[in-house]
Amino acid sequence: MPLGSLERSPPPFFKQGTSALTKLVMFSALSFGLMFADQHYNIVQPARWVLSLIVFPVQWVALRPQALWDHFDDVFESKQDALSAVEQARSQLLNQSVRASQVEQLMLENRDLRQLLQLRERLGSPAMAAEVLYEAADPFTRKMILDKGALQGVQTSSPVMDEQGILGQVTRVHPLVSEITLVTDREHSIPVLNTRTGARGVAFGESGGAPLLELRYMATNADIEEGDMLTTSGVDGVYPPGIPVARVVKIERRADSVFARILCESLARVQGARHVMVLEPVKLTQPSFKDLQPPPLAPVKGGRG
Amino acid sequence: MIMPRGQQLLLPVNPLFMLFTMALALLLDMLQSMAWTGNAAWAPDWLALVLVFWAIHQPLRVGVGVAFVLGLLTDVHQTSLLGQHALTYTVQGYLATMIHRRILWFDVPSQALQVLPVFMAAQLLELSVRIAAGGLFPGWSFVVPPVLQALMWPLVTFILLAPQRRAPDPDKHRPL
Repeated sequence: MPLGSLERSPPPFFKQGTSALTKLVMFSALSFGLMFADQHYNIVQPARWVLSLIVFPVQWVALRPQALWDHFDDVFESKQDALSAVEQARSQLLNQSVRASQVEQLMLENRDLRQLLQLRERLGSPAMAAEVLYEAADPFTRKMILDKGALQGVQTSSPVMDEQGILGQVTRVHPLVSEITLVTDREHSIPVLNTRTGARGVAFGESGGAPLLELRYMATNADIEEGDMLTTSGVDGVYPPGIPVARVVKIERRADSVFARILCESLARVQGARHVMVLEPVKLTQPSFKDLQPPPLAPVKGGRG
Repeated sequence: MIMPRGQQLLLPVNPLFMLFTMALALLLDMLQSMAWTGNAAWAPDWLALVLVFWAIHQPLRVGVGVAFVLGLLTDVHQTSLLGQHALTYTVQGYLATMIHRRILWFDVPSQALQVLPVFMAAQLLELSVRIAAGGLFPGWSFVVPPVLQALMWPLVTFILLAPQRRAPDPDKHRPL
């Protein structure tokens, strides 16, 4: 027996509006259209911008409890924790100062060598600090949301790193926030360099469940060992060269395949990063290939003049 | 129609309350994912639950159209494929509208059992659409949310019908 109600107006008998089935067909078709457009073209980006502005206040409210909790957590952090953090920072500083003292000499040496080779001075890539707001809730991808957007000058395809290494790449920019695809996402690939052997390769996000990278298309007999460090190789025009990306953790050499299955662990904290750096894509800070080509020779007029 | 004895008549629903509960469910979904579960696949979808509830209890006010709009908002928040939740919510709104005449004849635990296929169908639809679009398989915990949502059904029924169960003539012994 359905629950009766004291509703004063009787339900409409004949005028029921569009039927539910019609609406289902209409809105499903619209959804499929949107999904197709989102997947293959860039035309739904304005719609995302508008909707993200609508959703932003709700998100802001939803983030408050977490922010409050973090605040109190910081305030009531024990003295022991603070002291151990200081101790750790001090020992780290000591380690770094040893290396820092060598930097002067290395820079000098580097400058001379570059001048010798007549290479262009490598520009320092401009960077912007940002904070991770939250991890995107979509279980089919691995993405994070940053608190800086188009209004702060974030551009798409900017590399993002934390203090350990490359975290990912900015793939969508909204007015107030931006979205980064992590290196462990299945759709993401990054050209890397094995620092031990100098061999180049491409690391893809692993398609299984674990947040790992997979170094694909390396021959079964390639010289690679567990523990090898992979850094960005800089051939892609997006990531600046020489930034750590991952460490090789597992190598499976199979008889039935030409390629070895090499799994790597990301050095950046892909699951718990808070503060990150957004770098400018390399192709914006370096001259393009066209600029480097010599200007075409002026045609000689009149033959032998 | 003759009312059996002891059956309570409900007050008319307040449309503002419906809007409020749907906004609250959206907020709860966001809070859950941002502060707690991250992109875990087992997290229940509160918005879908509230949406199906209202589509069953108030089919003239909430249906396929509202579901579509809320789906779009969820898509933008989750940064999923734009239209993915719009599609699954649309389907859930439709299925709920289809079963609303039948399901209310059952008691609440049986209703929970009957909304489970609605949630499961939407979840499987979402999975197939995303796999077809090249997403990664999120693991078998992906079948957990529909079950959790169905288990929440009695609780949600109690909470969302509470304002309508108030006395029509409040006096000092029954202030609410």
